[in-house]
Amino acid sequence: MIVFFVRLFCACALLLALQGMMPISDAAASSHLDAIRARGILLWGSDSEGGAPYVFPDPKDPSRLIGFELEIAEAVAQELGVRAQLVQTAWDSLIPALERGDYDMAMNGLEIIPEREKRVLFSRPYYVYTLQLMVRKDEERIRNIRDLQGRKVGTLAGAVAHDMLRKVGNVDIRSYSAAWPYEDLALGRLDAVFLDTPITVYYGGPDKRLKYAGPPEGEGFYGIALRKDDRELKKIIDTVLDRMLRTGELKRMYERWGLWDRAQLRLLDRATSDAGEQFRTESADAPLVSFLPMLLKGAGTTVLLSIVSMAMAISLGLLITFSRLYGPPGVQTVAAAYVEIYRGTPLLIQLFILYYGLPNIGIALSPIAAAIIGLGMNYAAYEAEVYRAGIEAVPRGQMEAALSLGMPRPLAVRRIVLPQAFQISLPAVTNDFIALFKDSSIVSVIAMVELTKTYGILAATTLRYFELGLIVAILYFGMSYPLSLLARRLEKKLKGR
Amino acid sequence: MINIKNLHKSFGAHRLFKGIDLDVARGAVVALIGPSGSGKSTFLRCINGLEAFEEGVVLVDGIALHASGRSRLSGDDREAVRQVRLRVGMVFQQFNLFPHLTVLENITEAPVRVLGMDRAQAEEQALLFLRRISLEKKAHARPGTLSGGEQQRVAISRALAMRPRAMLFDEPTASLDPEMVGEVLSVIRDLVYQEGMTTLVSTHEMGFAREVADRVVVFADGEVIESGRPEGIFTEPKHERTRAFLSRVLNRNQ
Repeated sequence: MIVFFVRLFCACALLLALQGMMPISDAAASSHLDAIRARGILLWGSDSEGGAPYVFPDPKDPSRLIGFELEIAEAVAQELGVRAQLVQTAWDSLIPALERGDYDMAMNGLEIIPEREKRVLFSRPYYVYTLQLMVRKDEERIRNIRDLQGRKVGTLAGAVAHDMLRKVGNVDIRSYSAAWPYEDLALGRLDAVFLDTPITVYYGGPDKRLKYAGPPEGEGFYGIALRKDDRELKKIIDTVLDRMLRTGELKRMYERWGLWDRAQLRLLDRATSDAGEQFRTESADAPLVSFLPMLLKGAGTTVLLSIVSMAMAISLGLLITFSRLYGPPGVQTVAAAYVEIYRGTPLLIQLFILYYGLPNIGIALSPIAAAIIGLGMNYAAYEAEVYRAGIEAVPRGQMEAALSLGMPRPLAVRRIVLPQAFQISLPAVTNDFIALFKDSSIVSVIAMVELTKTYGILAATTLRYFELGLIVAILYFGMSYPLSLLARRLEKKLKGR
Repeated sequence: MINIKNLHKSFGAHRLFKGIDLDVARGAVVALIGPSGSGKSTFLRCINGLEAFEEGVVLVDGIALHASGRSRLSGDDREAVRQVRLRVGMVFQQFNLFPHLTVLENITEAPVRVLGMDRAQAEEQALLFLRRISLEKKAHARPGTLSGGEQQRVAISRALAMRPRAMLFDEPTASLDPEMVGEVLSVIRDLVYQEGMTTLVSTHEMGFAREVADRVVVFADGEVIESGRPEGIFTEPKHERTRAFLSRVLNRNQ
């Protein structure tokens, strides 16, 4: 009896000693598990926007989320004796947000690839994904991804599919995030779409205007991403996945979601890397200079977009101002309404309506046209207000003096009022141009790849958010600062003349 | 030359003019005097269409400006207003020179753009005017760099460059420092005496009014309370309010 107690004591002492010698990170990890249990909630990051069948709002009851990943998350939570709660995060921010500690784990079709393994800890795989090429029904020439050279192809920024397309070379890649590109494919804005098979099955498959091209390509694994030091949580997740596999629970679930295929058998004995991974490794190890051509191309698009949009905003803004100040009453009302509506609604909504809404009434604009028109029409409202303020700031006596010299009103406006209004408005217009220049990044939501989107894609692929971010910030500043200087010089010149 | 009949003008609910009549013969010089806010400026602005009026008619050189009130002018009426403005020059209390143009451009702008005058000819004429007011050297300066008196002299030249048949001066010296009043008045005086210009001038300079005017019209609260030859008005004013006004102004000037 005494011996038993002595042994127990020794065992405890040994345990305590071992615990003391454990690396801090492991101690933190076990306290992390405790923290999860204490709060009673397992937080997991995922992007439910356009997220079928992974995790998405139930079409029958959109306030409720469903999806096969949601079921896995719930199984893990159950094992921990807590409930699962999703933290909505944009797909290409899942890993940075995990590292920042926004949630305990990230799961959203994250491919297990070496570059990500450097930053996060992956659970054992829970799904074998393939990539599926999709084309329009009448398409004959595209049979596999090697036929895509010189074609416009939609895919997901930062995904393995994106990388494989880059490796094909000379493919005009259009990156999407939440809104999947199948509608654009059907409308003829794209020649093909290359995405993970589950996405294809749910978003492309049902579209009667489209068809699959060739068999699935590039097999790989999805895994649950954890913070590097979270071995305890990994152990629990792996146990849960292992059990689900062996009991056939996982198979039944995938069958329910229509995702089961023979490839999933490989989950039982995880094979080593595959085609997609090699692509990934190479791009992640590339020197920063190798990204410059892409970034500069993005910057070029940003400049082009800004200049053309601003030219449109200025001309349309002038038209609105004149209509509002000098037009007949009906036209004045329309002009005032334009300004109020465009200032009173978000640019983002305006862009969505232009790009995704107009095709419903038969107007399918290209991304660049939609971007220029969207930015131009939005900024025209602001310009109109700036010009109106400028014109109204010219003293009334100026107009009266011009009229009393016998000038007709239009001549008086053009020769006397406008030049002074221009001088008054110039600082505000410069300001607007710089603002537009930076606001142009918002058009990435309609599949325009300008500087910010280029950054997003490169960073999501390589996970080098910091270095690339600095380069992009410098590029933006390098373009906007000379503009400020130029405007200041012009102001000075106008005043001094 | 200028005939005003039964002029009615309101600002909102406030009825300023309730039927003013005035006839100005060619070459006549009329001085409008009276307290501030009595309607002198508004009266002048009705003559060249800068203010609309509700009732009555303004005839300038046979061209009629009709009452319009608030409604938009018809095309014919707009053209009539412009024809009147081509015949009648105006000088403002605040000068209203165009700050973004040089002094020379201020004077040539309207002759070139409105009358279609050849630019070289317009500039030659402008320089002639500038020489007369001794501001030749300032031809290429901006109005902002000129003194008030200089600006007003340029403004007078700008109006004269359109070769008007009559001139309206709206308190031409009221915004000037006292030492600059004389130089502006002497330019107006030259104009009146040498060219025999038909002139209406609203002013607080009683000595000047007395000297140059053929007729003095006394305004009070939107009414013409008295009018006549200057010696009569200044020496034996008939109306009590004229007397009160004159004694206030003359005492202040002493």
